[in-house]
Amino acid sequence: MTDIDETMLIALVDGELDEVSRRRIERAVAEDPALAARLDMHVRLRDRLADHYAPIEAEPVPAAMRALLQAEAKVVPLARPVAARRHAWMTGGAIAASLLLGLGIGHFSGGGDGPVAVEQGTMVAQGELASALETQLASAQDSAPIRIGLSFRRKGGGWCRSFEGQAISGVACRQEQGWQVQQLVPGSGQETAYRQASSGDARLMATVDALMDGSPLDAAQEKAAKARRWQ
Amino acid sequence: MSFESDLLAILPRLRRFAASLSRDRADADDLCQAALEKALRARDQWQPGTRLDSWMYRIMRNLWIDEGRSRQRAARTFAPEEAGEHVGHAGDRDVEAHVMLSDVDRAMRSLPEEQREAIALVLVEGLSYKEAAEVLDIPMGTLTSRLVRGRGALIELLGEAA
Repeated sequence: MTDIDETMLIALVDGELDEVSRRRIERAVAEDPALAARLDMHVRLRDRLADHYAPIEAEPVPAAMRALLQAEAKVVPLARPVAARRHAWMTGGAIAASLLLGLGIGHFSGGGDGPVAVEQGTMVAQGELASALETQLASAQDSAPIRIGLSFRRKGGGWCRSFEGQAISGVACRQEQGWQVQQLVPGSGQETAYRQASSGDARLMATVDALMDGSPLDAAQEKAAKARRWQ
Repeated sequence: MSFESDLLAILPRLRRFAASLSRDRADADDLCQAALEKALRARDQWQPGTRLDSWMYRIMRNLWIDEGRSRQRAARTFAPEEAGEHVGHAGDRDVEAHVMLSDVDRAMRSLPEEQREAIALVLVEGLSYKEAAEVLDIPMGTLTSRLVRGRGALIELLGEAA
């Protein structure tokens, strides 16, 4: 028998031993088949537990939890979204247009290098925003400047996605030629005075609710829709 | 990255932790949802620069313990009446639930709470002893003795196939 106790054995399995102790135990294990069998048992137990619960981590996150985190994304406690909506906001294009003016974003001539252009009377995503909407997956965007929120099927067909950036956040739907912006609000980088007036998320969620057919896409569905180029 | 997107990024791991604590997946997702709501309300208490996952594990673990107490209270309050109305029923249900569970689920459920949470954090979530001891707010020595006892029980329950 050796002086290796159970605590040291499991510390080895858990990666908690320094180099010297690790070698000492490994030598002891090499000389003692009974100890080796106990070590093996602990390794198998750890592997079995890890394997058992691993598939849960790989599952798509339930839509309710995702929505909770995305709905809260820009709530400013000082401004109740409902009050803000009642007092300050209209709906649809009027909001979007006034925001575009107010924020000084966008190049209304149709060209330019802003995230949104106006083409034939509708707002169309361009540049970085267009490429995020077209190609970015919500599950893989750690440091992306524009973050995709929910992707979902639109009532009557077609795909839409919500997005959030420093300057603007909004909802856009895929049309034949590109992504038509349905709604724009100030993004996460806006200063408090403006953000209070907007608390953008509540209105974006309302838009998503109004447009959405069913529930948001999970990660696998999102990937599949992207692969089909949102057609 | 925002607080919310950081939470979203670790959410798959939080769900896994919830599943290893709970009796079933529905309970696990309820726990996870409640923990997210609590985290969003208490976001000012999280210190940027510290580990968000550890903070969340602690919230979930505390919620689970609190809920466990109220479950026990409810069981004490309702058990006599239920036993009177459906004799043997609760027992049958319990047996059925056991049949649905895998060996690992069953073995984990049979552990005392304090051993299960230690096992879940270290063996399933992969936390270091130091991190796990901080989440559980116990000394390292207490953590390691719970890990030893918990493992012993699991190996006994799962048999040679562990």
